[in-house]
Amino acid sequence: MNLALHELLNVHVALRGHPIDYPRSGGLALARAGHSSPVDAVTEHDGHPGRASIEWRSHDSAILGAVDEHRLTEDGAEAVALAYTHAVGRWLVKRRLRRGEYADWLLQTDGQSLALEISGTMTDDGRGRLKEKKEQVTRCTLPASRMAVVVAFVQPMILAGTV
Amino acid sequence: MTEAVVETFSENDLDTLVSIAIRRAEVLEDVSSPNAQEAWLEVLAYEERLAAITAASNIAGGIARAGAVHAALAAGRREEAERLAQNYLSDPSLPAERRMAIERAFEEDNTRLAAHFPALAKSGRLGEVQAWRREVAKSASVFPRAA
Repeated sequence: MNLALHELLNVHVALRGHPIDYPRSGGLALARAGHSSPVDAVTEHDGHPGRASIEWRSHDSAILGAVDEHRLTEDGAEAVALAYTHAVGRWLVKRRLRRGEYADWLLQTDGQSLALEISGTMTDDGRGRLKEKKEQVTRCTLPASRMAVVVAFVQPMILAGTV
Repeated sequence: MTEAVVETFSENDLDTLVSIAIRRAEVLEDVSSPNAQEAWLEVLAYEERLAAITAASNIAGGIARAGAVHAALAAGRREEAERLAQNYLSDPSLPAERRMAIERAFEEDNTRLAAHFPALAKSGRLGEVQAWRREVAKSASVFPRAA
């Protein structure tokens, strides 16, 4: 599976115009973890292992000194997770959800909807985080499929779980 | 942004705008910024318009309706939230799950107020806070960000 972060806005056109530059955030988060494009990532979707190659365009890493690290991890994780969900299910961003909906984004494809909760981590236990996020998205009451995705950056990993 | 301008946006435009506005409002709320309420007013404008152009039975329409009520509450406009809720709940096609989401928005607002005003909550006087916020909301030029 190839995840081209620089193509993200061509895939998810609803992200165009966002003040957050998701493709750049994804690349910078991976660069901050010491990686250069492309990087191989381990994937695990409902326990099934796989691999993904994540590509991005290089950015001036001097900006890393000026960004909020927590925010970069979260925005970078959103970039990778949105690329991943499109790659595995052709899901496209519809809109962001407020916190009270217990998911970050509503995605759609062919008349189906997906409530997606995303989290990013540099070094923490991704599987433990996935468990927490799956519990969170379980509380989402929307008539939609529900999925949690955790992106780990130091040892690149995409963990996904449906509920 | 005026109501007339918001009315010119398509659903896709509004989806993008509300996504940006929600993110901004939540970030401002996280840092207890006095601008958070204003940011929620922007969310309210987009959610209300989305609610107006989408069916209540549709997932996007249901999200917008609960979102508009929540945004009005987060902006300190409880009367407006109550008016919107009454309007949305009167639509028989609104799914039960969305009715509960609207009710939950009021419960969450009460919980939030109780956390900010624990002594008043303990003595059952949160209504006074709500009455005060209503007055402040009417006098937009006087202590506009105090509530």
